[in-house]
This record gives sequence, C-alpha cells and structure tokens, in this order.
Amino acid sequence: MEFGARSDPGRVRENNEDSFRLAPEINLFVLSDGMGGLEAGEIASKLAVETVVEHCEQAEADPSLAVFGKHIEGVSDACNRMASAVRLANTAIYENARNRGGKAAMGATIVVLRVFEDRVCIAHVGDSRAYLLRAGQFDQLTEDHSFVADQVRRGVLTPEEASRSRMHNVLTRALGIDPTVDVDVTEELLMDGDVFLVCSDGLFRELSNAQITGILGETDDPQRAASRLVDLANQAGGGDNITVIVLRNSPKSSRPFAKIGRWFKGTDRVAEPEK
Amino acid sequence: MSKLVLKFESSVLQEVAVGQKEVSIGRSPDNGIVIDNPAVSNYHARVFTEEGRLMLQDFGSLNGTFVNGQRIKMIMLKPGDSVAVGKHTIVVTDSVEVRARSLDHAEMKPAVPKMNETVMLDTKDRREFLEKVAAVGESAQPAPGRMKIPTLVVRNGNTDRPEYALNDKLTVVGKSAMATVKLRGWFKPKAAAQINRKEDNSYYIGPADKTPSVNGEPITHPTKLASGDLIEVAGVELEFVVRD
Repeated sequence: MEFGARSDPGRVRENNEDSFRLAPEINLFVLSDGMGGLEAGEIASKLAVETVVEHCEQAEADPSLAVFGKHIEGVSDACNRMASAVRLANTAIYENARNRGGKAAMGATIVVLRVFEDRVCIAHVGDSRAYLLRAGQFDQLTEDHSFVADQVRRGVLTPEEASRSRMHNVLTRALGIDPTVDVDVTEELLMDGDVFLVCSDGLFRELSNAQITGILGETDDPQRAASRLVDLANQAGGGDNITVIVLRNSPKSSRPFAKIGRWFKGTDRVAEPEK
Repeated sequence: MSKLVLKFESSVLQEVAVGQKEVSIGRSPDNGIVIDNPAVSNYHARVFTEEGRLMLQDFGSLNGTFVNGQRIKMIMLKPGDSVAVGKHTIVVTDSVEVRARSLDHAEMKPAVPKMNETVMLDTKDRREFLEKVAAVGESAQPAPGRMKIPTLVVRNGNTDRPEYALNDKLTVVGKSAMATVKLRGWFKPKAAAQINRKEDNSYYIGPADKTPSVNGEPITHPTKLASGDLIEVAGVELEFVVRD
C-alpha cells in the first residue's frame, strides 16, 4: 500500500482543527475533524486520532486486549477492533470536555481505515468521508451522519438540494458529545489498483467528484495526489480546513514479499522531484 | 453613534459601531460584518452615515436585503430596525443602549461559534429534531427488526456448502481462506466476486478477480441484487433469495 497525506487550514480559517495519523506498519490510517470553540476542536481531533492509533497498536502487540463496547455482527475482528478504538476515542473526548467544566462543546468526526489481509475495513462517525476509486468508478464508502444526509436517505431532499443546503454543517453524530457513540463499520475486498481517499469536509465541499476523480486517476504518486487535491480545494475557496489521505494499492505492490523487500530497501516510496 | 448587532436566531455573533467609517456586509472576509453563508453575496450591502443619517444600501445582492420584512435597495435606518441578510439579522441599536451594554461586556467577547463552522445538535435538541424529521419520509426507511437476511443458494458448481446466509457486510466468493462462499477445484480464483451489504441493508454484487454475471449480464460495476437474481461466476451458479 502506497500512501500520502496532507492537511491545510484552508484560506479562511486561522486554525486547523483537522488531525490525521498514519501507522503504515499496521496499515492503519486515521483522520478526524474537530469542532468547538477556541482550541477545543484541535484538542478533540488530536485526541481522537491518537486514541485510535494507540488502541490499535496495543491490540496488535496484545490481541487479548479488551474490546470496548458491543461486538458488531457481520464484520471481521479487525473491524470490531477499530470500532472499539473509536468508542474509546469518544470516551476520551467526552471526559476531556467534562474536565474542562462541561460547558465547552467539543466534538470530532473520525474515519479509520485499515487494510487487513484481503480486505479494507472502515469505521467512521460524523461527516468526514472515505471514497474508493476502482476501475474508473468513484464511490463514497461512508454515509455522513449529518442532518442533510439523513434527509436525503429519507427522500426529503435530493442529493443536489442537499449540496446547496445551509444545514450542511449540522451533524447528527460525532465523538465526544454523548457518553457512548454508535460506530458505523464497513468492509471492502481489496483489489489491485484500488485507490482510497479519506478526507474532511473541507475537500468535498469545494470540489466535485469529477475533479477529485480526475486528480486521483492521473496522479500515480499518492503524496502528490494528496497535495494536488489540497491545492485545488484552496483554489476553489478553501473555506474550511482540508485534510486528505490517499492510499493506492498498486498492482506491483500487491505481493507481500515484494512489498516487504521494498520496505527494507527503502525504495517503496521514491520521492518525486518538486516542480 | 449607532451600533449594528449581528444575530443568528437568538445568539449575538458580533457588534460593530458605525461612525464616520462605513461598515460593509458580506461573505468576503474583508467586510466589516462577515456572514459566512452561501446565501449572502461577497459584498452584499453597506451601512454608512450621510448628513447625520444612518443609511443602508444593498449592492444588488442576489438574495436581497430586507428591513423589517421589506426588500430594499437603499433606506434610512433608525434604532430598533431589523435588517435581514440571508438567515442572519442585524439589529440597529442607538448609542445609549450600546453604552449600557458595553459596560457589562467591555472585556468579554462571547465565545460564540462562527457561522458555517460545524456544529453538533446538542442531545436534547437533537432528539426532538430527529423525532420531528422522522415523521417525514418514514416509508423510505427500512423497518428495523423485520430485516430479512438474504441467502445465496448454490444452483450449480462445487462449493463447501449448499447455501449461505448473507450475514456479513462483505461476502467474498472464491478460494481464499477468508471467503464465505468457498469454491473448490483447480484454477479457481482467490476472490471471484464480492457482495456488499450497505447501511440500508441493500446488497450489491461487484467484480473481483473475475467478472460475474447476473441474469446473463456481465457485472463490471457494483450492482444491486434483487430476489431471484441468478449469479454466475467462476463456474458456479448462485441464486440470491430473499425468503418471506
């Protein structure tokens, strides 16, 4: 799996409330978009990504580590572990907000993506998204936990109307708001050539699917793709913080031994000269 | 000197004094009053003083500027007037009132959220809100608890079981150790096809190492399955059945 990531405050906001962490040694990629006044949003998103990575790394070292919350049927153990990590992050933010006097509203979205054996597991809460570009088709793998997305699911709004709605910034689910949280999980079979995109709303509010697909399709290096997406979103207005993680399962890296070989030789990520 | 108080619903977002210098209103960040909302033009309107009178001028904005409910181009403002721009309200207050207020709030800037910032409906509001919207478009929602688990019935070919309940989010058809529908025999692909269960409990079949066909049509992109669909892939035939 080749990967790249970039986060940018955008052109309007002064601070960046998005956070991401990459843990490629366990094929784990995490993104969070924080919210709340003053520094609360930044604290919330950092706490979210750090808690998730820490829990997953601990579980990797000690698989007997307790799974937090109820077992979700119909998905792999790896997926359940990620849901556990997200619930733990919810508690961490919730407790942190309470320790600040409880008045400061503090919350965060999260997307956790992990490649495990033959599949890709995704856990998420909120309106940050994961997409898959496969054989030219670009699909959103996560469903937003937002008021407008709810209305689209109920057939009250068309997706077109939803994209223009003034309510787009209202979430129905986020980390840190309630003592417990429902985590959505999904799994996809990993295939050669798959490109995954994990991003905060600062990206998809500025760019159309066609613009995103264009860049992902024509940029082989994931780091360059991540940078180009952020640049384009900034050109389009940069109204919010923009964070993207791009993952590419290039056909040549599909054999695990070849991948390990390149990792040791340090040739798995060849830097491209800046233009 | 008058003051303009920007409000969204009942919360006060900003207070700006209007003196010799005019105050511009709009979405662009270089305005005196910035309203970050798509319904507001970049340079929407301005408030200025002319011969001692407070004036409001709309810059030909797309969605208009309203004073006390009336769409205006240019108007004289008086204390107590309410100016509507998009979903926001700007209330005009006179200096006496402002001074009294500013004594209390002299050093305090309330930590109100900037508009367009992501917000979470708080717990109580959220429940009421969701209950309210739940009434609309109810029929579009799958009834929880009465969910039927579809089955893949093997009609032809060599597999490890005669049928498979599609309990999982991801069902793989192939020879792989993680495959649910295990294919037997030489030259079978590790993953021939995949079936995904979505959040709304619909099922989609998509290609993997092979291109499956449904009712004789090759499937190159994820396609929704309906009861009775016949799937052919890697030498096996599977029927997608939703039983009553």
